[in-house]
Amino acid sequence: MAYSSQSAQPVAVRPTTGGRPAATARLRRLLPYAFMALPVIYLAVFMFWPLGRQIWLSFTRTRLANPNRSEFIGLRNYERLFDSPDFYSALYVTLVYSALAVVIGVAIGTVAALALNRPFPGRTLVRAILLFGWAVPNVAAALVWLWIFNERSGVLNSIVTSLGLERISWLTSTDMALSSVLLVTVWQVAPFVMLVMLAALQSVPQEVKEAARVDGADALNIFRAVTLPHVMPTLQLVSLLVAVWSIRRFDIIYLLTGGGPIGSTSTLIVKLRQVAFENHDLGLASAYGVIGLILALLVAAIHAAFNRRRQKGQS
Amino acid sequence: MNRLTSATRSLLHILLIVVLVIFGGFPIYWMATTALSTNAELYNTGQVPWPQLSNLPAAAEELAKLPLLRWLTNTGIVAVGTTLLSLILGSLAGYGLSRFRFHGKGIIGFLLFMTQVVPEALILVPLYAMFISLGLLNSLTGLVLANVGFSLPVAAFIIKGAIDAVPYEIEESAAVDNCPRISVLTMIVLPIIAPSLAAAAVIAFFAGWNEYLFAATFLMDSSLWPASVGLASFIGQYETPLSAVMSSALIFSLPAVVFFLLIQRKIVAGITAGAVKG
Repeated sequence: MAYSSQSAQPVAVRPTTGGRPAATARLRRLLPYAFMALPVIYLAVFMFWPLGRQIWLSFTRTRLANPNRSEFIGLRNYERLFDSPDFYSALYVTLVYSALAVVIGVAIGTVAALALNRPFPGRTLVRAILLFGWAVPNVAAALVWLWIFNERSGVLNSIVTSLGLERISWLTSTDMALSSVLLVTVWQVAPFVMLVMLAALQSVPQEVKEAARVDGADALNIFRAVTLPHVMPTLQLVSLLVAVWSIRRFDIIYLLTGGGPIGSTSTLIVKLRQVAFENHDLGLASAYGVIGLILALLVAAIHAAFNRRRQKGQS
Repeated sequence: MNRLTSATRSLLHILLIVVLVIFGGFPIYWMATTALSTNAELYNTGQVPWPQLSNLPAAAEELAKLPLLRWLTNTGIVAVGTTLLSLILGSLAGYGLSRFRFHGKGIIGFLLFMTQVVPEALILVPLYAMFISLGLLNSLTGLVLANVGFSLPVAAFIIKGAIDAVPYEIEESAAVDNCPRISVLTMIVLPIIAPSLAAAAVIAFFAGWNEYLFAATFLMDSSLWPASVGLASFIGQYETPLSAVMSSALIFSLPAVVFFLLIQRKIVAGITAGAVKG
């Protein structure tokens, strides 16, 4: 931050001729924009223009066959959306999926971080193995999990039948599909939570823990009074990230179930693709996407509000 | 609960770690095991639950029939393109955000963060329409341009965080020599933050490597398919032996796993500054 405070001072661009200080001053003021111009223009063209256009499409009738021609119809797509049971189903699936991904993923990831925070032989290897789910690409993860879940020959059903139970339709029954998708999601998300939480746990001041121990506090009390408050901001950040990722997640759900059976794993974002590319209805698809975006923004806003309150509490 | 003897505690600790290792590691183990099994075993006699190295030659022969090399080449092109563009633009933005104060800085920072909230699927159709007009549909260039929208902000956050930690005095000595600011960035600052730059490169590279939705939508020509789309095409089709499918999935995963393990700590540092891989 040393520099920000003096950025108005002539530092980098010095008047070489000494004759035109006013012109150099202006140049200096423009310098930041010279650095920012390319990345900003890039994002405007390939991120924010498409995003704005997608939001606008939700107020139009547009077909996939001719995506550049659309007719403005006001809020009609949203009326159709709020009248459709598919929408409420997708909203419900999104909320349940995201909430459970956060709760289970963060819980398992944090427990794993606590387990790895104590030294034991082979810790580096264990840590590497636990990170697999996070590092493996979505498509490869989907392929192996589809095989694990395979109804006739998959390993899960081999175990189930060897216990004398009926085969389970892991991905093809409305009862099980969302749970199975969640299992894979937790496998992918928990390692990430573990990684971040482990870093937070390792930064807990040891002297404070030691002092509490000397004062006669037991492990549970130390955890509650020292460790937990220290890692709370990280726990909250990582929950926010998992929530936002769950709302926007597409690949793994689509590859495992395609959103089925009967929409039981169709989140808003999976539904968006289906309505756009199978029903060719870009207007309605965009309305699904806009609701998904609003959900993600809401989560981010809640996180920001929490942050502000905590900062106020500290000062 | 808190009166457990230390022996019981250690036992529970070990048990917990065993359960976690099985849950975390089993799918990869199973990928390798399946890759070394014949279709007859997998579908009829039952899968042998350990890797059978004797099946390796047969598995390699099946694998050789797949266009895996071409897919991986396409994947490599997309990943390298995504990395280069993200690093160039990310360095400019990261330096700008770290070293200057200017109007609109807050908004730009906010918009960079916003890109991490936007679902890929949400800009898919407008990009598709745009690429039709620009002739970028069905091209790897279009795919790179779309990917960079998401990986550039991540690179910018990581690079900004790294430059924040570089004392400004290092740049002042160069400024005296009338060095243009862009050269200060490329010749002095970037070499200092090389480790962070490498982490940003790995993240961008594997964002391009793993990307599926854009590739599946923008590329019609199967000769342009990256491995993500090629591998996904095996889902629901049974002509390709499962062992070959799993060995390609394993080969596809291996570089990502190795590099993510190498830079795991850097990613944590990046996370706390912005938001990364989703």
